[in-house]
Amino acid sequence: MSLDWVPVVAVFYCKNVPGGGEEERHAIEKRYKGSARLYPIPCSGRLDAIHLLKALEEFADGAYVVTCPHGSCRYFEGNSWAAKRLETVRRLIESIGLEGARVGMVAESSEEPIDLSILTGEFINSISKIGPSPVLKS
Amino acid sequence: MITAEQKPIKEIRETIAPYRKILVLGCGSCVAECAAGGEKETAMLASALRMAARMNKEDVLIEDKTIDRQCVRDFIVQLEGVIEAYDAVLSLGCGAGVQAVAEIFSDTTIIPALNTEFLGQTKDQGLWTENCVGCGDCMLYYFGGVCPLARCSKQLMNGPCGGSREGRCEVDPEIPCAWQLIIDRLGRIGGLERLGKVYPAKDWSKKQGRGPRKIVREDQQR
Amino acid sequence: MKDESRLKQLLDGGHFAVTAECGPPKGADPGAVLRKAGLLKEKVDAVNVTDNQTAIVRMSSIAACTVLLSAGLEPVLQMVVRDRNRIALQSDVLGASALGIRNILCLSGDHQSFGNQPSALGVFDLDSMQFIEAVRGMRDAGTIMGGEQLTSAPAVFIGAAANPFADPLEFRVVRLAKKISAGAEFIQTQCIYNMERFKKWISLAEDRGLLEKAYILGGVTPLKSAGMAKYMKNKVAGMDIPDDVIKRMDAVPKERQRQEGIGICVETILALKEIKGVKGIHIMAIEWEDAVGEIVERAGLLPRPKVD
Repeated sequence: MSLDWVPVVAVFYCKNVPGGGEEERHAIEKRYKGSARLYPIPCSGRLDAIHLLKALEEFADGAYVVTCPHGSCRYFEGNSWAAKRLETVRRLIESIGLEGARVGMVAESSEEPIDLSILTGEFINSISKIGPSPVLKS
Repeated sequence: MITAEQKPIKEIRETIAPYRKILVLGCGSCVAECAAGGEKETAMLASALRMAARMNKEDVLIEDKTIDRQCVRDFIVQLEGVIEAYDAVLSLGCGAGVQAVAEIFSDTTIIPALNTEFLGQTKDQGLWTENCVGCGDCMLYYFGGVCPLARCSKQLMNGPCGGSREGRCEVDPEIPCAWQLIIDRLGRIGGLERLGKVYPAKDWSKKQGRGPRKIVREDQQR
Repeated sequence: MKDESRLKQLLDGGHFAVTAECGPPKGADPGAVLRKAGLLKEKVDAVNVTDNQTAIVRMSSIAACTVLLSAGLEPVLQMVVRDRNRIALQSDVLGASALGIRNILCLSGDHQSFGNQPSALGVFDLDSMQFIEAVRGMRDAGTIMGGEQLTSAPAVFIGAAANPFADPLEFRVVRLAKKISAGAEFIQTQCIYNMERFKKWISLAEDRGLLEKAYILGGVTPLKSAGMAKYMKNKVAGMDIPDDVIKRMDAVPKERQRQEGIGICVETILALKEIKGVKGIHIMAIEWEDAVGEIVERAGLLPRPKVD
């Protein structure tokens, strides 16, 4: 692993999750410097597989989705759709030999919600363990 | 519509390996409806192939484009001036689309990215089922709107066979017995007497008797 | 060479017919067929030779029938529509007749996905019903499908299969009627374990006046073990084995289960003999041909009648 490598994660999140406001977004990106790029979406159901793929292809070592708690999506089933799309992307990247763990999804808990900022830190940690993406190396 | 599924990435990578500039070409019709080769799937496949190429240090250009129909000349000709820049086209059209594009761009390599499956319906979200073999001589009236040639595993025109149990096919209990469906439907619409006679052997000459078929309609021609 | 089926003569003569089954070997050795012939000779009136049963490649049915003929047995050629189109089927009917085969059982055949050639194309150009009709046309009108005249007609007794245990029950009899109207003269049924359902089917057939129009031979298969009974119940398409039969097999120790299976089979035959409209039995002792002699003897069906 190169010493000057800085992990980059793309985080797609539903605007309705805790800490998902516009001000918080700037704060998180500032806190993690270049390691976090945040993409708010009106509902995780609006997430397309291509968004995750493009992030992985162009700049991200990992791409993650944060959704509302299961069963409390404002648009009914947005978050379950997001889960299915994520699985599609996972299968596709695994088929080209990329680690499936480079994509992931967290559904917020309604009892003990975790702030988006903390989740972003956890994503960066996981990616640090996996290492730089072989897609971006060269 | 015509249904299809994407080939495994490994097979696609093998077939495109000799080429440096590749156009991944989607089709916005049937294969978009069955989520195999529409704009989204085409963009995803192109992205995955670019990533795979980069991981393997292959110096290739992979771009994508989707046209409305790959099987209709008027749409295919929109590729004039585009296709020439590439060594090969990876087509996410059905078998008909791949061949139509290849016929018009006769000097370009056209590679299929899909396995074309069958004539069928979108039964539910994410579920497509086969229900027509394109026999050229529709008999659905007699069978209550359920085709035994397409939907009975043994193509029985005088079924059901001895393997039908509780409405399921002996080949796979996931398959509904077409003959149970036929009997149930004819029962509901008062047409059971249609099953009393022995249906004569199918005239397959309407499907394959003179080789590949064509339809000529002078009233539609230029 | 006799032109008339011995099986037909016996049935016409009012005898209770006994047929058995012989699966050809997965090899080219005629000795394997002759060994089975030896076990069945003089125990039964005719022997069905299966046609790549369960879609497993075996010696061709016509060839094995010819081997049986050479050993003095009367074969029933089974022909499935799975592997041959109408050209090949009709051609083989002519060939079979030329070789002295006098009985043909027309079948759909087990689907190719069940066998050892799952990549094979299933032909199914005709279905069994249309094939029956074609064979009748060849024999009675001396014409092939489409009406062209043959130089000489085949001489065959035409049979079909029926499964009284498949669904839907009412339609089973409609289908039997269709097979008979297409030209089936004898019917061999799926293995009977559920006597109640079989009787119901027979009475529905009687209501339609079918029992006078074709000879019905009840199918029986001796169970080798409780395991086989369970396997057939759960895995074999179109098989109906009631729980009390399985319990009965389970109740005896393993080493006596074969005898119990033969006992059940004999009881079934005795019961079938009492049913009006059942004109014989068809014993399918799968890879257990040496059980046939004992079954036939215990059912009081020996010696077999002679025909001139």
